[in-house]
Formats: sequence, structure tokens, C-alpha cells
Amino acid sequence: MDVSQMAGIETKDVTRLDRVGAHSHILGLGLDDSGQARESSQGMVGQLRARRGAGIFLQMIKQGKVAGRSILLAGQPGTGKTAIAMGLAQSLGHDTPFHMISGSEVFSMEMSKTEALTQALRRAIGVRIKEESEIIEGEVVEIQVDRPASQTGAKIGKMVLKTTDMETQFDLGSKMIEQLTKEKISAGDVISIDKATGRITRLGKSFTRSGDYDALSTNTRLVSCPDGELQKRKEVVHVVTLHDMDVINSRSQGFIALFSGDTGEIKSEVRDQIDQRVSEWREQGKADMMSGVLFIDEVHMLDIECFSYLNRALESPVAPIVIFATNRGITTIRGTEDQSPHGIPTDLLDRTLIIPTKPYTEEELSQIIRIRGEEENVNFDDDDEAIDLLTEIAKTKSLRYAMQLITTANVYARRQKQSTIRIEHIRHVLSLFADSKTAVEKLGQYQDSLIGQKKKVE
Amino acid sequence: MTENLPIPGDLSGGKRTVFVVDGRKKVHTVWEGPDEVEMAEEYDLSSDELLVRKFKTKNKFGGEGEWIFEIGEPPIKHHFDEELRESSNNPYLLRSDKVEAFVFRIRNLSYPLDVYSVNVEDNKIVVRTSNKKYFKRFIIPDMIRLKLPLEQKALSFTHTGNTLIISYQKPQVLLTTERVWREERRRTQGQRPPQNGDVQCPTS
Repeated sequence: MDVSQMAGIETKDVTRLDRVGAHSHILGLGLDDSGQARESSQGMVGQLRARRGAGIFLQMIKQGKVAGRSILLAGQPGTGKTAIAMGLAQSLGHDTPFHMISGSEVFSMEMSKTEALTQALRRAIGVRIKEESEIIEGEVVEIQVDRPASQTGAKIGKMVLKTTDMETQFDLGSKMIEQLTKEKISAGDVISIDKATGRITRLGKSFTRSGDYDALSTNTRLVSCPDGELQKRKEVVHVVTLHDMDVINSRSQGFIALFSGDTGEIKSEVRDQIDQRVSEWREQGKADMMSGVLFIDEVHMLDIECFSYLNRALESPVAPIVIFATNRGITTIRGTEDQSPHGIPTDLLDRTLIIPTKPYTEEELSQIIRIRGEEENVNFDDDDEAIDLLTEIAKTKSLRYAMQLITTANVYARRQKQSTIRIEHIRHVLSLFADSKTAVEKLGQYQDSLIGQKKKVE
Repeated sequence: MTENLPIPGDLSGGKRTVFVVDGRKKVHTVWEGPDEVEMAEEYDLSSDELLVRKFKTKNKFGGEGEWIFEIGEPPIKHHFDEELRESSNNPYLLRSDKVEAFVFRIRNLSYPLDVYSVNVEDNKIVVRTSNKKYFKRFIIPDMIRLKLPLEQKALSFTHTGNTLIISYQKPQVLLTTERVWREERRRTQGQRPPQNGDVQCPTS
């Protein structure tokens, strides 16, 4: 395997926390090559028409030729709207900017609603810039670390790296020595060092040194020693969003503002400048514009001013694709007293394509529960009684409630020292935790003894 | 990097200012335009040898760029916490042109002359060593700017004092242009660079 083929390797971040979220089982939209939705694929189950519609939209986004289109995912709670948006995000890949906000996020003390929406829109438009960065790539000949005479001094070290054509000696600083010892880099390893960040990546072990070892672990990759110069300039492609560029240019310590999140209001002159510069770059071929996706969940929380702003913003040639989602029916538009489907004014609705989501069938619910079980590393009992009960619960009460019961039943089963979940476990946690419908019934019974009851709950 | 700046190949056309400071004649050239490019050259006052040539342009995001040295070295930044740096006894390349040729010196190379092979490959100069201890590939930015290909017959090298000296004969076109620039430099006295306390003479 040639070193040059592996240029895209990244080190695995060992400190990443593996936490299971509500939608972490979604890996994509689960479509086949012709765009048909498979019954159960990539974590998505059922909802075939909605997924196919989303798939068509995905094609439009990937081609990158359309700007300012929008779709609205509408349906009852628990019908997979956010899941479809997540599936779409996963299918787009790492490069395409995908930004998700909830309708109520635009109301904040720090900035006006239009500013919040502008920032959200600009976070969803990316600019692909080619940049050259210097890297040092070579095989380690030897590493020598000297501990200082006094206990408190810093370690000093020397390292000799070579390619097939040359070798060079380097002096090492303490952080570099730490990285090398942590990664257990030794003679014969082929490594790559990014000069800008100082990060070391192990590419593998050199072929020529493989004879030194009688046994190599399965993880070891054998690589050929790189040739040419040790220090090379590699072209790296960065994707920066327009919002990032706005922030960097709007204040002197723009980079820090990016990380602290405190961006405040950005002047329109700064934005105009950035737009102009990006269009110049596109003409010169230095950069590429990538229209990403902005997902606005709970869109019924936006008010009439936001909607009017969006109408206009979607008409700009640099607008991203916007996906709205809501589970409200005919509701009041916030900021007015008019009623309208989904709480969205009809002129904006006219500009969107609506993808309805339907409630799941019993089969589909059962499948979803199985998939969630796998995702959470939970074993169900073989005779499927537990799953059938959960499916029943999902159908009569709610899918989310059933999914919550999976985790809780698992904990209970473990405490009982049992490795699989059985129907008794489900019944037990069922009796402990009430769902929303049961809660409403109970409130009806006990409302007189609860504080603050003015209206009778039907 | 400096070979593909948006400026004329023979470095003509810019607005030139000449200062004399510290025993050196400094020539500052500016090419106006959407991408403003600045060039600063420093010639030794007595020998008229070109000691420094550096370029500056705006960086990607609109801020002020840094000086990129084509000839000469930037002032040494003492990175006390630099994590990885080349050992000081490593060979390094520097450029020290003569009137008739581009001269490249690689210091700290102690191997005998027969170890080296210097060739033109793919419009670059490549230095190889038979003992696989040193390897370098580099360009001559001036030749790339003039869009002239490199030729093996213009290349020659010697080894003395732990230094490998590589000479590439300058093409006739460049020799003529440089003669003109040299004459101009001899003629201009150079302004005194503005110092603290200087006041503009009143004109009325």
C-alpha cells in the first residue's frame, strides 16, 4: 500500500464519548441506486414515500445547482421527521454544511431575529478553499530522548527521519516527545507530521523493517518508505462556511470568536465584502461554493416577521436548501391572529414542497424497536413476547415511550442479573413510568387535589 | 509560491521607491490592482549584490499577508517552544546570486564531490546523493516567471568548505534586463527613509 494513497487518514480520537442519542441509529436514507426506499435500511424503517421524496431532494442538493429550495416535513409526532432530516444529513457526507436549529432558537437576547436567521442561513453555505500545508513524512530511523540532569527540567530529544533519498535529524520539544511516547512510535514506523498543528499521524510500519519482527499484530499496516523530500507541500481542501468567514472578518480576534460562540451582530458591510470576495474567488477558480442544508425544526415557533424575512432570503442566489419540520396542524401564525396550516403563512407554504409523514404500521413499529434495541446493545428474549408488548405500547401510546422503556427495562433486567429482556421486565417498568396519555387521564381524576387547576381537563 | 504571483515576468511595471539604509540600497516596488503585490529588494551598497528579495500580498481572508522570502532569510524568530525543528547541523539551502548566474549554496554538506548528482528534472533542479543522505528539489522562480525552461547545460556545481555550490547561467534576456536595472540603481541616489521628527517642508 503506497503512502500517497493513504493521505486521507486521520487519527482516531480516543477520547470521543460514545453516547447513544435518540437518532444515533440513523446512518442514511436507506435508498437503493434507483432511489427506491428499502423497507428497512441504514436505520430507517417504513415511511417509504417520504424517504423517496427526500431522496429526490438529496439528488438536487448533491448536484449543487439549485439554491433556495425548501421542503416541509409535516406529520404527527413520532413519525420520523427528524429521523429523515438526520438521514439526509448523513447521506450528504462530511463536506456539505448541515446546520440544524429549532424554531425557538431565533429568539435570543443577543441578536435580533433576522440576524439569527441570517447567521443560520450562512452557516449552511460552504466555501471550498484549496490551501497548501507543509507536512513532514518519513520513516523513523531513531528516536533519542534524554532526561535532564535535574528532575524538573524538560526532556529534550532528537529524532532522525528518512526517506529513500535522504535523512534529516530533528530536535524535539517536550510536547512532541509526549506525543511520540503516547503513540509508541519507534524505529521503523512511517509517520506524517503536520507542521502547522504539530500533530503526528502514524501511517504504518515500513516494509523494509518487517523482517525485524517475528509476529505483527493484525492492526499493523505495512507501508513502503516514502521517497523524495521529507518536507512536502500538500494541498488540503478546507470547507469554511460563510458564517465562519463573517466572524473572522468582523473583529480583530475573529478566530477566538468562532470558538467562544459569542458572535453578536455582524455588520452588513462585512457580509457584502465577504460575498464580493467569494464571487471573485469563484471567478478565479480559487474556491467553490457549496450550498448546504439548513434544517429548521419546530418551524411553527417562528413568527410572522421571520416568515417574511425567509420569503425574501430564499430568493437570493446564494441561499441554501432549507428543510422545515413541524407537527402542528391548523394553528395560529405567531405574531398574528390568523390561522394557517402548520402555523406557516400560505405564501411561504407556496414556496415549499411538502412531504407528509404517516403514522407507522405495526410491522414497522416492531422493526424500529428491534433496531433501537441493537443500537443500545440490548438483547431481547427469543420468543419475542417482549417485543410484541413494546409494539403494542408503541401503537396505543407512543413510539417514543416504547423506546424509553427499552433502556429502562434493560437497566432493570441487569439488576435482576438477567442478560435478556423478558416480558416481566417490560411490565415492571411500565408500571413505574407513565406516558403522556396516561398522565392526562390521571390528571382528570386527581385534578381537584393538584395545585393550580382552573379549567377542567377533558 | 513567489513564481506565480500576478505580476509581469520580468518584474517590470510597478511603482518603485529606493531607500538607502544601513549600507544597503532598498528598492520597494508596488503593483497596484485587485491583488496588490509588494516586492522589497536589498542590494549591498558597495558590491551591488542582491541580498534579499521578498514579496508580500494580501492573505486569503483579506488581512495583511506575510513577507515571503525568495532570496535571503527572514529574521530569525526564536521559537523557544517550537516542538519540532531541524537540527542546526542539517544542510540548508540559500541563494547568493552573481551577476552572470543564479548561485545556490547548500551548507553543512560534508560528503565528497563524487557523491552528488545535480540534474534538471521536470523544470526543477534536483540534488541527489549516492549515500542517500541528502535530497533536494527546488525551482528557480525567476526562470518560471520568465516562462523559460531550465536546461542541463547551463547547470554546474562544485564542492568546497562543506558547501555544495550550484550555478545556473542566467539567460541572455535576463542579463539585458538586469543591466538596465543596475544602471537605474546607480543613477538614483535614493531617498532618505522618513525618520522620527521629520516634518514636511511647507510649500508656501
